[in-house]
Amino acid sequence: MSGIARGRLAEERKVWRKDRPHGFVARPETVDGAVNLLRWECSIPGRKDTLWAGGFYPLTMEFSEDYPSKPPKCKFPQGFFHPNIYPSGTVCLSILNEDEGWRPSITVKQILMGIQDLLDSPNPASPAQSEAYMLFTNDRADYDRKVKEQSLRYPAL
Amino acid sequence: MAPEMSDVELAKSSKVLMVGAGGIGCELLKTLVLSGFEDIEMIDLDTIDVSNLNRQFLFRKRHVGMSKAKVARETVLKFRPDARIVAHHGNVKDSSFDVDFVRTFDVVLNGLDNLEARKHVNRLCLAAEVPLIESGTTGYLGQVTAHVRGRTACFECNPKPVPKSHPICTLRDTPDKPIHCVVYAADLLFPRLFSADPNAKSDLDEEDAVELSAFTRSPGESPESFAVRVYDYVFRTKIERLLAKEEMWADEKRKKPTPLPAFTELVPEGPTAAAHGTDGLNGDGNNSNNTMTSTACKALGLRDAHAAWTDADAARVFVSSFARIVARDESDGNHGTDKFDKDDALAVEFVAATAALRSANYGIERKSLFDAKGMAGNIVHAVATTNAIVGGLIVIEALKVLRQRKAGGDAGGVATPVPCAPCPYRYTFVKQHKSNSRLLEPMEPDPPNKSCVVCGAARVELVCDVESMTLGRLIDEVLKKKLGMNAPEVNAPETILYEQDDGLDDDEIEQYAKNCKSTLANLPAGGVRHNTALRVSDFTQKFEFDLIVTHRPGDEWDDEEDPDGYVLRGDSVSAESNENNAANGENNEENGAVAEDVDDCLIVDDEDEIKAATATAGTKRKRDDDDDDNDGGGRGDAKEIRIE
Ligand SMILES: [Zn+2]
Repeated sequence: MSGIARGRLAEERKVWRKDRPHGFVARPETVDGAVNLLRWECSIPGRKDTLWAGGFYPLTMEFSEDYPSKPPKCKFPQGFFHPNIYPSGTVCLSILNEDEGWRPSITVKQILMGIQDLLDSPNPASPAQSEAYMLFTNDRADYDRKVKEQSLRYPAL
Repeated sequence: MAPEMSDVELAKSSKVLMVGAGGIGCELLKTLVLSGFEDIEMIDLDTIDVSNLNRQFLFRKRHVGMSKAKVARETVLKFRPDARIVAHHGNVKDSSFDVDFVRTFDVVLNGLDNLEARKHVNRLCLAAEVPLIESGTTGYLGQVTAHVRGRTACFECNPKPVPKSHPICTLRDTPDKPIHCVVYAADLLFPRLFSADPNAKSDLDEEDAVELSAFTRSPGESPESFAVRVYDYVFRTKIERLLAKEEMWADEKRKKPTPLPAFTELVPEGPTAAAHGTDGLNGDGNNSNNTMTSTACKALGLRDAHAAWTDADAARVFVSSFARIVARDESDGNHGTDKFDKDDALAVEFVAATAALRSANYGIERKSLFDAKGMAGNIVHAVATTNAIVGGLIVIEALKVLRQRKAGGDAGGVATPVPCAPCPYRYTFVKQHKSNSRLLEPMEPDPPNKSCVVCGAARVELVCDVESMTLGRLIDEVLKKKLGMNAPEVNAPETILYEQDDGLDDDEIEQYAKNCKSTLANLPAGGVRHNTALRVSDFTQKFEFDLIVTHRPGDEWDDEEDPDGYVLRGDSVSAESNENNAANGENNEENGAVAEDVDDCLIVDDEDEIKAATATAGTKRKRDDDDDDNDGGGRGDAKEIRIE
């Protein structure tokens, strides 16, 4: 008998397979044929007509046994360039924050769409890294160039 | 019906399992044996600590370091030598304490302190169909709840409030409560500085090299100079850098932090004197380990653990405890301490000092060493009397549960729901302040939550040889043919075993094809074995159930009696296939209702009945077939009838 976290994740998995937004990937990690529902490997497409377009950005979601009471931890690769991503890759977003927007009813799909949104609309009030934040606020041309460069580093698989 | 047994007779004839021999456990064991129970087994992983002795009264000073379960047993045998008590010094999550083990008891009594273990016991009890009495205390507050499958909610039917975790953004940059400062100190800064793994990734790291080196000790740097450098970085430089991010502070409601003065300004006697205090970190800069036993507070003469420190004293404790931790790790030859431990006095001082200084940065109320320790270690001071009351309440509920079982209400060891009788069980809450002039508040138990993923689904037992039954055969013969499923999917507790093809990647399809050829025992993630609970579902039919596997080796099967080589028993599940729904035109609405109502199942006791029932799978079984009281609505009705 599995617990609440795995039960809910099995449900999320089913729903995702039926209703998967175009260009997105989200699946539990597999090791030796065993599926680890607590760790999902995802890919978020940059939205069309934005600087992020063309990139497919890898993201891991780590769930705990306290999910869905607690949100998953979402991480891009270390050093990911974005004002609201910590140098460790951890995403800083209100819906992933227990004190702000997290609700147990938020789905994996909503999280991924929320992060896709965040890519092109950074929140300068919650800077998480200096480099992207400084360029975003002081030198938009250089910021844009860096984002474009990064999108080329993550082509479609 | 036999004449009603007295409580003592009931106690004498029952076998109970106690999980936990700590605060509640000591009280419970005493009350059990004094109430007449004499067949008791108990499990506890812990050994006795000095701090237990004030309330865990079965233990004495000479027992420190020994097994709680074993010592509790010996002490109790002195006043009840005739009791049969078995003590297990072990973890209840060990595989030796499995469903078969639990099934040998009449009731399970929990006195546990952690959620993981309590959930585990809940699931074992559900699978073994043994009632569970759950309990817990926090200071003056306590509660005892009874969990009987099908009758009351299970321990996990309603989500437990979990302690809030704090978002990384708040902890790192915008704390506004004392707890944020304490958690920053214990969970972020402490492991970042003292972790054994120098390459561990931390959310405190910054991208540029200067900042990356801020937390790393330079070659030849003394512990106290390193400590001062970190002080200046964390409480000054870092804050100044944050202030430079102007848009962050554009919102007036967000209070700007203030950098602290440099260490040398704040502490005139300088780092070495501050770190050493009166007893010396070491006199000559050579790290001999005999001076490391002292704490920073002792060395600095800060005796009152309840006082809030001044900035200067907090800075002294920061540098002194920091230097002592570095020196200790060095002399121990271990390269670090990964996690904050509330029983490590130096770590507690470091956390309290860091939290105080950070509170000064952000203008947050400052906590004492004592409070910071409690907050960082999640400690609520235990009250012996609450434990004693809760121990007594557990015995009262246990007797009620046992009486039901013996009286045939829960005959054959199976807790059959009896919706028409009033529910005798209670949830009882122990309160700190009385309301309605009561300190004990008994309440009607919650009914089972139909959508609970742990206990909400119907259960079917599959007896088979796991060494020869393949997953493919299970799917085709058992799930599709016998149970009329359309598009079954199968999950094991730790992995997914089979899904329908749609929406899958090629490698996933390939893996599931491989799984189908495999025997149950050889499946990934440890295989499906005796007592494994599979969750079987069908998205197209909107229904799911638990399939409990019971292993019976091939040579124990009689070909004539069970030509299939497997047996199904337990709750009957009736799956409606989509084709039938479509074919049954006018009945569609009714069919839909049945498909959604997972609990619409017959309770059948003998095998022939189940075969008959499962044989009807795929054809519509009408509700009025189920006699006058229908199971689907039974639970709702039961709630009404239960009112006394
Ligand atoms: Zn439940």
